[in-house]
Amino acid sequence: MQEFSVVGKRLPRIDAVDKVMGKARYTTDITLPGMLFGKILRSPHAHARILRIDTTRAGKLSGVRAVITAKDTLGIKYVHAGPPFQDKDVLAPDKVRYVGDEVAAVAADSEEIAEHALTLIDVAYEVLPALFDPEEAMRPCAPRIHDAENNITMRGLRNYGDVDKAFDESDHVFEDRFVTQAVAHCCMEPHGSVASFDPKGNLTVWTPTQSPYFVQKELAVVLGMTPSKVRVMEVPVGGGFGARSKICEDEAICALLAKKTGRSVKITLTRKEEFSTTRTRHPMIIRLRTGVARDGTLTARHVKIVTDNGAYNHMGPPVMGYGALASASHYRVPAVRLETYLVYTNKQYGGPFRGYGGPQVIFAIESQLDMIADRLGIDKLEIRLKNCHRPGEVTACGWRISSTGFEECLRKAAQRIGWEEKKKHPVRGRGIGIAGMMHVSGAKVYTDGDFSSAQVNLFEDGSAAVFSGTTDMGQGSTTVLAMIAAEELGLDLDDIHMVTMDTDLTPIDLGSWASRIAFVGGNTIRKACQDVKRQIFEVAAKKLECNPDDLVLKDRKISVVGSPDRSVPVGEAILESPNRVGKMLTGKGHYDPPSELINRQTGVANISAAYSFAAQAVEVEVDEETGKTRVVRVVAAHDVGRAINPDIVEGQIEGAILQGIGYALTEGMIYDQDGRAENTNFLDYKILYSEDSPKIETHIIETDDPEGPYGAKGVGEPGLIPTAPAIANAIDDAVGVRIKELPILQEKLYRGIKQATRERSG
Amino acid sequence: MKKIIFTLNHEPVSAEVAPHIILADLLRDRFQLTGTKLGCGYGECGACTVILDGMAVNSCLILAIQVDGRDVTTVEGLAARDGTLHPVQKAFVDQGAVQCGFCTPGMVMMAKSLLDETPNPTEEEVKKGIGGNLCRCTGYKKIIKAIQSVQEE
Repeated sequence: MQEFSVVGKRLPRIDAVDKVMGKARYTTDITLPGMLFGKILRSPHAHARILRIDTTRAGKLSGVRAVITAKDTLGIKYVHAGPPFQDKDVLAPDKVRYVGDEVAAVAADSEEIAEHALTLIDVAYEVLPALFDPEEAMRPCAPRIHDAENNITMRGLRNYGDVDKAFDESDHVFEDRFVTQAVAHCCMEPHGSVASFDPKGNLTVWTPTQSPYFVQKELAVVLGMTPSKVRVMEVPVGGGFGARSKICEDEAICALLAKKTGRSVKITLTRKEEFSTTRTRHPMIIRLRTGVARDGTLTARHVKIVTDNGAYNHMGPPVMGYGALASASHYRVPAVRLETYLVYTNKQYGGPFRGYGGPQVIFAIESQLDMIADRLGIDKLEIRLKNCHRPGEVTACGWRISSTGFEECLRKAAQRIGWEEKKKHPVRGRGIGIAGMMHVSGAKVYTDGDFSSAQVNLFEDGSAAVFSGTTDMGQGSTTVLAMIAAEELGLDLDDIHMVTMDTDLTPIDLGSWASRIAFVGGNTIRKACQDVKRQIFEVAAKKLECNPDDLVLKDRKISVVGSPDRSVPVGEAILESPNRVGKMLTGKGHYDPPSELINRQTGVANISAAYSFAAQAVEVEVDEETGKTRVVRVVAAHDVGRAINPDIVEGQIEGAILQGIGYALTEGMIYDQDGRAENTNFLDYKILYSEDSPKIETHIIETDDPEGPYGAKGVGEPGLIPTAPAIANAIDDAVGVRIKELPILQEKLYRGIKQATRERSG
Repeated sequence: MKKIIFTLNHEPVSAEVAPHIILADLLRDRFQLTGTKLGCGYGECGACTVILDGMAVNSCLILAIQVDGRDVTTVEGLAARDGTLHPVQKAFVDQGAVQCGFCTPGMVMMAKSLLDETPNPTEEEVKKGIGGNLCRCTGYKKIIKAIQSVQEE
């Protein structure tokens, strides 16, 4: 195996010291001279027409500097998933569609005054009947939330292969219904932004985003500005998980307030707003029909997904689209029908969330696979090994598998959880379960590509500054990119200065989503470094009278391979290069993976240039008297291609697993009969505390992907995807109760256990 | 308004505060010590943890006037003056216990308080000790490992 000096090492993150010292300056920490504070007035109704808004009293309150409503906007809707799905105004002009919809906003000298002013804004509403259940909303007689017929904003029906014939020829056909819930991202840093206009009308925005490029674009659109006059600044991001992969709406309101007052404005959402008005994971109702041969070979699949979109489209169309494709991913299914409905309801709306539709659908796939194995009397590991994709295969929907360690992941997870042994000696109330997944490393969903770009400035002293539009939302991607640059340039990590996510300074990257940064961003940084190396090697080759291909760059010297004393200092080569810029050389990199946009006729595409795989095995303990589940142990085996930094890779997997356990057992938004979010704090909405955390054993499987930088693939999202079904499977193994609706709350399982007991005795 | 005098990060300081102002806001707004984070504002996430007279507290649940005459240490007061990291901070860096970093200052302060009280804690003791500090990124594993690693040095 190739030897690396930086890649593969457990190096500390480059931002860790700032963070442990409390010196990292997050958006909420920013104070600008004369800064005002913004607050947002939100709809108290799930569905209502706005008859009139009177801001007179609020405007007269001492300390209030501006009150804005839809009249202060250009009436342009957010881009979000693009036409024809644009449906969200910055401030509601005539109708509100969920409890929390933005209606007006205030900028004042203090947060207290702004909050007081909100109570003085008089809005007259005509309350309309509201819809909270997507299946009800689809009925022809249901009132319309937007203009969409039957409130269906997007529907899809695609066949891959001869599905009817495949079902006819299947030995068995099983059909089951699974339901998943809305969950909150719960980033520790609340959403918020600071906006400021200079006298020339240039806008500067600080906001914890996963994609400065998208925020810049969205702000330019809704404010009617050219993007070059909108600067989105580099800030530490206090968690993302998808919540911030698009504009979060407070940015535009903040900018409008800044424009109207001529002063800088800060908005920070409260935790209650965070829970009730930011995006959730889309709830889905999944009907899964699967054809299978007697020996357990999957033969056909029809997945019907009804997605609860909530009040607006946001990224619902691609989230549902991706989720559907995931139903034919890690296991071979020759014939597949994807039937999808994205339905408006008068609730908080969904958005991207770690896994992008995958966790919902894979919960169904992996749960049902266990049920099928039970019905056929096949071992649950065996049925997975029988059907799992092997290297070089192509999924029914066209995903080409360039590398996969899925089989190894399954075997490893099973072996480490003690599969054979525990299946032989089952203990009542204790169970093990396994589940797998496949996920993209970047995805081609935008017509202009899935690209990233970067610039490397190599200085006379041999050190380097790397400019990349990528965002580190906390996952450690900037450190990973710096390590790639250090490896390429033969430097130590400390010699690399990273400049990221500043739209004035950094070349465009689409953002931190689709587990794309290590893969797409990493390849880009490599190309930029190689570009600058090519330039210095040209100079050095002449001086050393050798072929540029025979040169290496290490420790600030260019030398001939095998003859370290035949060398030129980097500084000398830079100064003698015809391309020098002052006393430095720049290298540029642009990378758009060889992936494909979806073919609108066939629905087939290799949407990513590499795919990650994982299997997780869990052991649970269920108290049959109370229905309480304790996750005892999780073994996670992840094919990440190559771990550029194993600490960071493990950190991604471990953190995601805890989110996955929450998704499985404790988390879920609850709305009352009027659509009001009820559990808007950490007491009522239960994410996992340290005492809830099980033993986690992580195994990194390296498969050296041919397209990945040093063989690396994405790892940001995969950790969460198999966790919930593995837990559901383990619970069934422990107590013989199959729960098909998430979350598997204690009371739900208790009722399930009681019912099973009655059925057994009756 | 009431004048309070207290020790902040080893220095005597004073401030005029309104009776309803919470300690977290006093630290962040008046003293620009923004290392103390506000994640919820009602004592459930622990991001605002500081050390008051040797005990870890949620600074969002303490009124500023309550610290009159007392000793407050924030994350900014943990490292040595020359910037040398406190062993807890160093352990968080070395063990990869930091991700988004928003919970980190509170977590570091809670860990320091825990280790002051219970040197060489068991895994269960660490889990209990940081039981009021939420982290959404790490899964706690590397944080626990970092805190336990302090004893080994």
